[in-house]
Amino acid sequence: MTPEEIIAAAGAGLPPEVRCEPDHGGVMLRVPPGHWLAGLAFARERLDCDFFDWLTAVDEADEGFSVVVHVYSLAGRHHVLLATALPRSAPRLPTATGVYRGAAWHERETHEMFGIGFDGHPHLAPLLLPDGFEGHPLRKDFVLAARAAKEWPGAKEPGERGVPGKRGVPRARRRGPPHVPHGWRPA
Amino acid sequence: MTAGTPADGLPARSRGVIALLEENCTVCMLCARECPDWCIYIESHQEPVPGAEYGGAGDRRRVRNVLDRFAIDFSLCMYCGICVEACPYDALFWSPEFSYAETDIAALTHEQGRLREWMWTVPPPPAHDQGQRPPRD
Amino acid sequence: MAAVDLPLPGVAGRPGTGPGPGVITVGAGGGCTLRVFDAGLACCGVEVAAALRRSGALATVTASQQLNVFVVAGTVTDKLAPYVLKAFQDTPLPRRVLSFGACANSGGPYWDSYCVTKGVDQFIPVDAYVPGCPPRPEALLAGLALVLRAGE
Repeated sequence: MTPEEIIAAAGAGLPPEVRCEPDHGGVMLRVPPGHWLAGLAFARERLDCDFFDWLTAVDEADEGFSVVVHVYSLAGRHHVLLATALPRSAPRLPTATGVYRGAAWHERETHEMFGIGFDGHPHLAPLLLPDGFEGHPLRKDFVLAARAAKEWPGAKEPGERGVPGKRGVPRARRRGPPHVPHGWRPA
Repeated sequence: MTAGTPADGLPARSRGVIALLEENCTVCMLCARECPDWCIYIESHQEPVPGAEYGGAGDRRRVRNVLDRFAIDFSLCMYCGICVEACPYDALFWSPEFSYAETDIAALTHEQGRLREWMWTVPPPPAHDQGQRPPRD
Repeated sequence: MAAVDLPLPGVAGRPGTGPGPGVITVGAGGGCTLRVFDAGLACCGVEVAAALRRSGALATVTASQQLNVFVVAGTVTDKLAPYVLKAFQDTPLPRRVLSFGACANSGGPYWDSYCVTKGVDQFIPVDAYVPGCPPRPEALLAGLALVLRAGE
């Protein structure tokens, strides 16, 4: 199916709240969370997308999280992306495992890395993180503690001897280690 | 198990170890700041330029940076080459030497003297490959 | 959709048989045999595999015993660390440990990660460190020579 045919089929078969647009040679369906399972079932049954590639999330800062799924049709050779937007305060979504069984591990990983809940998942245990790990590492506000613990070799100015900060460079212009919020310290 | 040079069958521009030509270094700190592994350790101080203590209008002393310590921790280094590319003064060079395993991990941090030793193993720059983009300068 | 039982991986179509340790004979007249147990955790594992195929290129070193070398080649994550420790403890004596590549030496490019152990020497004793990302296969053979000399 060409992207135009997919967009036409989605326009006819899905509620009007679902927005369709061409994306990188395939089609992106932007689905409200309430129509998530309907969108996945449509992609599987009506768009013939029988190959589940991946499910992941994007931390959109103030706008919450997007959950994105990539599925592919082996017969029709077309790609479909489905994306939904979740609020930051309550990121929950019904599990996709009823439609695509292969989503099971992807949802486990997305749950532990972003803290997004998948209702109805058979076994939402951590997949990659060790026992006792606290926090959701792929969130943008998760700071890499090693970068605050190790002294940044670039902190000194050229020609500066001793502890950084003793030379005449004003504090406002002084560079800190990259990707560590100013003044952040490990707990 | 000795050095690899293109004559020994290693490809041109093989990345084995990084060498420092201290004379070219102005302690601009760009390599240390750009290194993604934070594995370049630089310490320096300032000295007045001999013969230019009081230079011209304004009576301002000219100073230059003097390198006290330049070390690369090769236990962390990922051989990306960002330091070699970032250096504006061509003080860092690639050498194809790869046989420098150690029993003590602290010995994998090479100081100035050892980094200068690697300079003698830096091969002359190879000819451009066919179809390569012409050089910027 | 019903679950599918997949066959266990194996060598030459015989399921459940894993590859054994690589064996390198060192020294003129077979002075020593090194049995290399490779924990090929990531990209460095490919270089170790290439090196073991070229075994026999090791320089002559005088030794008189069979030595088991546990090579950690690749990134050690906090989740996998207990299994790497168990594999080390299962390596028969006499044994040496070779840390191969930046990730096994110190965490390497992933030193700041939330889940990477900063060097395999955090929990097992290492006899030699081979720098590189990844090191050449020839560097493994040089590292093994260092391990042999260090053990005497």
